[in-house]
Amino acid sequence: MNADPRAFKAQARDALNDAKLKSALGRLKTRFALKRQEAVAGYGDFEGLRQAGRAIRDYSIANLDRLLVTFERNVVARGGVVHWARDAAEAQEIILGILRDAGAKTVTKGKSMVSEEIGLNAHLESNDMIPVETDLGEYIIQLRKEPPSHIIAPAFHLHKEQVEEAFRDAHTALDPNRVLNERQALVAEARAMLRTSFEAADAGITGANFLSAAEGAAVIVTNEGNGDLTRLLPRTHIVLTGIEKVVADLDDVAVLLRLLTRSATGQEISSYVSIMSGPTGERPGSAFHIVLLDNGRSKLIGTQAQDVLRCIRCAACLNHCPIYSAIGGHAYGATYPGPIGAALNPGLIGDSTYHHPNASTFCGRCAEVCPVKIPLPTIMRHWRAKEYADGLAPKAMIAGLGVWAFAAKRPALYRLGAKIMTRALKLMSRDGAVHSLPLVHGWFAVRDFPAPRGKTFQELWRERA
Amino acid sequence: MSARPRVGLFVTCLVDLVRPQIGFAAVKLLEQAGCDVVVPAAQTCCGQPAWNAGADRHAVDIAWQVVDIFDEFDYVVAPSGSCAGMIKRHYPEVLKNDPRALALAAKTYELTSFLVNIRGMKAVVAKCPTRACYHDSCSGLREMKVRDQPRQLLKSVDGLTISELSNGEVCCGFGGLFSVKYPEISERMADDKIADAVATGADMLIGGDLGCLLHLEGRMERQGKTMRVRHVAEVLADAI
Amino acid sequence: MSARDAILLSIRSRTRAAAPKPDSYRAPIIPFDLVAAFVTKAEAVNTEVRILEREGEIPTAIAEILRAHNLAARIHLPPNSDVGGLGGLTILRDPPGPDDTAVTRVPLAIAETGTLVQPARNASPASWHFRPGFEIAILKASDIVVHFEDAIQKLKAQDLPPTINLITGPSRTGDIEQTLELGAHGPKALAVLIVRD
Repeated sequence: MNADPRAFKAQARDALNDAKLKSALGRLKTRFALKRQEAVAGYGDFEGLRQAGRAIRDYSIANLDRLLVTFERNVVARGGVVHWARDAAEAQEIILGILRDAGAKTVTKGKSMVSEEIGLNAHLESNDMIPVETDLGEYIIQLRKEPPSHIIAPAFHLHKEQVEEAFRDAHTALDPNRVLNERQALVAEARAMLRTSFEAADAGITGANFLSAAEGAAVIVTNEGNGDLTRLLPRTHIVLTGIEKVVADLDDVAVLLRLLTRSATGQEISSYVSIMSGPTGERPGSAFHIVLLDNGRSKLIGTQAQDVLRCIRCAACLNHCPIYSAIGGHAYGATYPGPIGAALNPGLIGDSTYHHPNASTFCGRCAEVCPVKIPLPTIMRHWRAKEYADGLAPKAMIAGLGVWAFAAKRPALYRLGAKIMTRALKLMSRDGAVHSLPLVHGWFAVRDFPAPRGKTFQELWRERA
Repeated sequence: MSARPRVGLFVTCLVDLVRPQIGFAAVKLLEQAGCDVVVPAAQTCCGQPAWNAGADRHAVDIAWQVVDIFDEFDYVVAPSGSCAGMIKRHYPEVLKNDPRALALAAKTYELTSFLVNIRGMKAVVAKCPTRACYHDSCSGLREMKVRDQPRQLLKSVDGLTISELSNGEVCCGFGGLFSVKYPEISERMADDKIADAVATGADMLIGGDLGCLLHLEGRMERQGKTMRVRHVAEVLADAI
Repeated sequence: MSARDAILLSIRSRTRAAAPKPDSYRAPIIPFDLVAAFVTKAEAVNTEVRILEREGEIPTAIAEILRAHNLAARIHLPPNSDVGGLGGLTILRDPPGPDDTAVTRVPLAIAETGTLVQPARNASPASWHFRPGFEIAILKASDIVVHFEDAIQKLKAQDLPPTINLITGPSRTGDIEQTLELGAHGPKALAVLIVRD
């Protein structure tokens, strides 16, 4: 049921017409944006914290190879195993191999956007393994067979009635007459069902919010505690992570944690922060595997999109984006929606994501709230320029801009053209507005154009003089 | 610097084409603020549509033209946060930090912030007995730090009350070519902004960027709404 | 070429501007009374806190808390861990289930965020903080440090344990309609007994 990034406009249209979705998206302001604002106001020098966070992430990118090697050495020294994967297919095969060697069948999963990025669950299922999502939001969408719609709140687009329906359909062993219309009851039911999965799992896969090179540690941040039950109970724990997540040491993690939780949910810290260096499973002979995934990240280094690698996946940009607020995450048809997706996807995925950097007004709110000061609109513009140079922009737009630029560079021609245009528009007006024009369908599909005065400013100014 | 600074008025293509009265209002206000205003005839466009679309070569050519035309002035003032923002915030990147581009950027301003922050204007003599709401354009707000200045001047307009929008920091959905490339999303964003404006009980919407205003006014006309839409320069120059 | 070599080569072959090692970050100052600061932050996230003057008050406090929560007089205590004087309670040494109460000792806490720092050692396995329905943690007032960085520094003075769990409040989720519910997978409630030495 994965949407296609090329069908963005049709998917956006469907989203705009979805009243349930619109009501769910209204929570972006009240639940996320306002909470973040309170947390920022309560911190004092939040701008200083952002500067510190940016400097830490820039240092990581500038020293990425060295930090990854140091990280690997320290993980291995403490009994872990490090694997490197160039792309999604390699990562899938590595993980499958680890699971097969461990004789694993049921695999619990902590929330991992990277695992969505590589399509891990589908790959495991087609190889007779049973992945069970344990983050409540991920569990719900796994039952509904749909992808996450938000980077930190996968089921953000749903109302509790839809969750109830998914639970009733899936938890068939439970009493069909049970009352399930309260959030608390839904959470309790998920807790009970998933506890069984936690105990039975042969292996656990989590992501990592940060990798700390000096200590060889992976850090995961949850509110539910599911990440910890995923990694502690089975005999095999696999951490799947992008290579860009590494920082120098745990002091760097401290700064980024302060930024992450405030920017994401307005919390000063999440309920659980787990720092793991070495096998942590409680059964004897537990194994700890780190899978480092590139999948297009390294090739962004040294380009005008490099700063996107600073991202700590807080989703503040999504929460403040007026386009995301209007259409939600599924319309993008890619793992990472919203402004970070718009800045990342043309590099990570390619030209099929043309619409992502284009469906933006460059309002700049995303850059304003980004905890590590990624210049998101600047990066989106860079992708637009690349697409333009590659001839991938719509032909009509290229032609139109060509005509406009031709005139704009020739003042006398421009003034003449403007005189003609303003008169033509005035002539076409009825009751103070132009109601339609054959050439600019995009404008007139939803708006009138207020009638112009009928003479240009330049000609009126000259007349005055 | 002479006692009466020479200001080059950057008219903007939309004002020139659609609402020349805004240009006249801007001149009046600048003269009231003690400036000598010149309107270069050779100006056309700031190049933002080309730059935002990634048509970099066009943007560079147009930017050089603007630099050539305007670098003789003490200040360059535009009745628009987005055009002023293009010159001030983006020309350095467009023209690769050329010293002439940096010099122009340093002396380019949006109109109301120029009047208040540079010329020290505290009040205007104007009358507009109505309840209005003020729309902050994203570029004005974020690129040019325009927020308090128009409000300060509007406070002095006789009979005018400004009611604040609940979600003033949210984009109206114009975004230049975005408004025609993604019309349905643009429509939703306009409707949210309009609903916010209507909820204030205002019967006039005032703003500093004509692009936003034409988009919102055009949408309101399509919906049969009767709220008046005016540029802040028109209100301040007593020329509504 | 191995994937490792290919990825490292891909990184090294790109031109990167150097970025300086950032200065150490100085986190905001906390008021002098660390216990008060810890309590304020902890209570703000649904942690129940009681301040005790002596170790000897612990059994009474535990019994009171269990009664107040309508819980059975039965606790799970990690093997090799001891709390003296728990005469009236049934003490079990096996791992707690999802509705059981666990009592643990916590060696370190952070005032900045009201956080318990639990390094996992064999004596108190990490899963004990996630399995039960209710955790009661015993903390010495003198073991509260100011910032996360201070906690790490203290832990690094001895060898860093394989897991460090930072625990702030009970388990929670906002995944249904972005509204907070407690007890998603970890404990539904958390109580901290701070003992002034």
